[in-house]
Amino acid sequence: MKLTLMGNEAIAWGLYHADTGILSGYPGTPSSEILTTYQKLIKEFKLPAYAQWATNEKVGFEVAYAGAVAGVNAAVTMKQVGLNVASDALMSASFIGNKGAFVLVVADDPGFNSSQTEQDSREFARFARIPVLDPSTPKEAYEFTKLASKISKIFETPVMLRSVMRVSHSREIVEVEDNYSFKKQEGDFKRDISRWAAVPRTGRLAQAYEQLERLDKIRDFNYREFIKPKIDSLKGSENLIISSGAAYGYVKEVVEELKLDIDILKIDMPYPLPADRLKELVKTYKKVLVVEETYPVIEEEIRSENVYGRMSGHMHQVDEMNKERVLESLKKIGLYQGKNIYKPLFIPENFSVRKPNLCPGCPHRDMFFAIKKVFRPKKSIYPSDIGCYTLGINQEAIDTVLCMGASVSMAHGFAVADKNKTVIATIGDSTFFHGGIPPLINAVYQKAKFILVVLDNSTVAMTGRQTTPERENPQVDLKKVVEGCGAEVMEYFYKPDINETINFFKKVKKKYEEIDKPLVVISRQFCVLDRERADEFLPKVYAEVDEEKCVACDVCTTQFVCPPMAYNENGKIEIDPLLCVGCGVCISGVCPTDAFIPRKEEK
Amino acid sequence: MRYQIVIAGFGGQGVVFLVKVLSVCAGKKGYKFLGTENHGMSQRGGSVSSHIKIGDFYNPLIDYAQADLLIALDKDEAVLNLPYLKKDGKIVVNADKFPSLPVEIYKIDASKLAEDGLFDAKGLNVFMLGIVLAKVKDFPFSVDEVKEAIQETNPKFASKNFEILDKAIEYAQNI
Repeated sequence: MKLTLMGNEAIAWGLYHADTGILSGYPGTPSSEILTTYQKLIKEFKLPAYAQWATNEKVGFEVAYAGAVAGVNAAVTMKQVGLNVASDALMSASFIGNKGAFVLVVADDPGFNSSQTEQDSREFARFARIPVLDPSTPKEAYEFTKLASKISKIFETPVMLRSVMRVSHSREIVEVEDNYSFKKQEGDFKRDISRWAAVPRTGRLAQAYEQLERLDKIRDFNYREFIKPKIDSLKGSENLIISSGAAYGYVKEVVEELKLDIDILKIDMPYPLPADRLKELVKTYKKVLVVEETYPVIEEEIRSENVYGRMSGHMHQVDEMNKERVLESLKKIGLYQGKNIYKPLFIPENFSVRKPNLCPGCPHRDMFFAIKKVFRPKKSIYPSDIGCYTLGINQEAIDTVLCMGASVSMAHGFAVADKNKTVIATIGDSTFFHGGIPPLINAVYQKAKFILVVLDNSTVAMTGRQTTPERENPQVDLKKVVEGCGAEVMEYFYKPDINETINFFKKVKKKYEEIDKPLVVISRQFCVLDRERADEFLPKVYAEVDEEKCVACDVCTTQFVCPPMAYNENGKIEIDPLLCVGCGVCISGVCPTDAFIPRKEEK
Repeated sequence: MRYQIVIAGFGGQGVVFLVKVLSVCAGKKGYKFLGTENHGMSQRGGSVSSHIKIGDFYNPLIDYAQADLLIALDKDEAVLNLPYLKKDGKIVVNADKFPSLPVEIYKIDASKLAEDGLFDAKGLNVFMLGIVLAKVKDFPFSVDEVKEAIQETNPKFASKNFEILDKAIEYAQNI
């Protein structure tokens, strides 16, 4: 049956058609829709399968991996930086292996669209010595998911399915199997202490040798199943491009559009590669260009005198691939002499770029405004974390962003290093559960003094509003967790009134001065995109501006920074009525001259 | 057939909905289709530019000087995405003013029309698609095909969206 699917949906269909009995993961752009789609498929087709979020990627990996150890086909999803968190588990799982299939789905983000790093997860697969499949489109993502599961089961090893944003968030018409009959997965754990609990040195040493043998077999499989049939159908041109994943699509279009006579070899499994055989192939060509995203993984394996790419300095080093970049590389190595057909004909002039910003009505904005009012920038350090609230940078209410949970440990470090400033950190509830708890325990343990504000909107907002532990099951009690860590707790129940929020933070300041340990503020708020809860919080008081009172002081545009606010032709602030959601916060006291007033007529 | 469309706007304007609708249109007609979407950080009110490639393509991204059509839900976003437009490309843009360029431009101040109550501002995306259907001669889909795709993509609001689409087509007669 033909379906129009986004890459992540295609992966979920692939998991379904690979009889995946356990799926876990942690949300992260561009990977999040895989698990939510699988949940929908489970509901629609009444599949006897488990698909649930975990508190972080490492936990998700281990939940799913245990399923595979017990013989169930399992998978875990995450974004590329999530794999950093799960890497500890991966490095050992690659030695031990699995009985049921174990597919590690990782979505990379070339071009830093929604990520702190641009790392290439294929490099991680090579590091961990597990096979990796690199689909180029949603259609291939579906097929490769099924293949990854199959290969994992045959060789009893975790297999990585590496997607990228342009596969995960692309849409294509995909042919999926009709009337699939899902084979129910029943775990039956077979005790094998020497395998599942292999310890240093003897146990792990033996597994290391097994791993090398396994890799040789997979390398042969890669050659036989994927590479050889493709080599056999090459035309025998003078020059060759070797490519994989999304990069292949750019190559294919460039070669067609420039009408070039160049062979193209697509690599489906970039690791483990039969490098010797590929080097033989390379010798039969004059020049070989490797086009891959984002690190030179294939290039490094087959490096020879006539192989060009990133390592030889003929390909851009960072940022996303595009056809112009492929064209430029071809030019540099002399395989194309014509003009650049991808040069813009119309150049933008006189326009403003819209930066990402917190949504109109988002309570995070009030929190940052109030924090800066009470804890002045000169006397404070504002560590923060990963989530929507990272956009507090627009209000200059964030000084550091590192990785999930680092706001807490960095607050601790700053408190030790710079005793003349107050450290006030911000973190979301999901990020706190993900990576904030061990550093908070550490801070109490080491008697650090700082303030941590947990912005609890009870949803993973940035990645599409997945549920958080407390929302899904209130037995997970955020306040008790913080208390259990030994920190001092203050709870705030958000009101869309800026003076209420500022007054609360004045109390926080007082408390901070009285105690000698971490003070955790739990702010119970909401997400404006969360339809279930937003309506009860939004008073629907829409704002407009009294132009006579506006003195163009910039307080609202630099300290509050709400999307509907902008200067008009008269040099006064104006509210875009189509964007205002009626939170009424600006009216409650953001403006020093009270220029925001309730809108008179209902539009 | 090869047809490339850039849809530009900012987060929350419903660019992704249009990508979905057009992907369903292509599927029903048996055309090959590749489209991109923006999610996460890039979606939060920031610039959103989705690419749609109908026909024989292997990669969803449109390169500079290649797009047949630029649909822009906002003036600045239209300007920002001009480099994608090909020599004889067309522009359909929601704007009160727009620089003159040597290409076909259909400029409609749809935000103003929504403010004046012609249609619900949440349907700006669908309204602009209506203008495209009425004005862009080589657009690969018909009104009925688009309606069928809207029905499939979001049945709950389909009748409301049909109304907006029809209003746009009617409005387009005067421009």
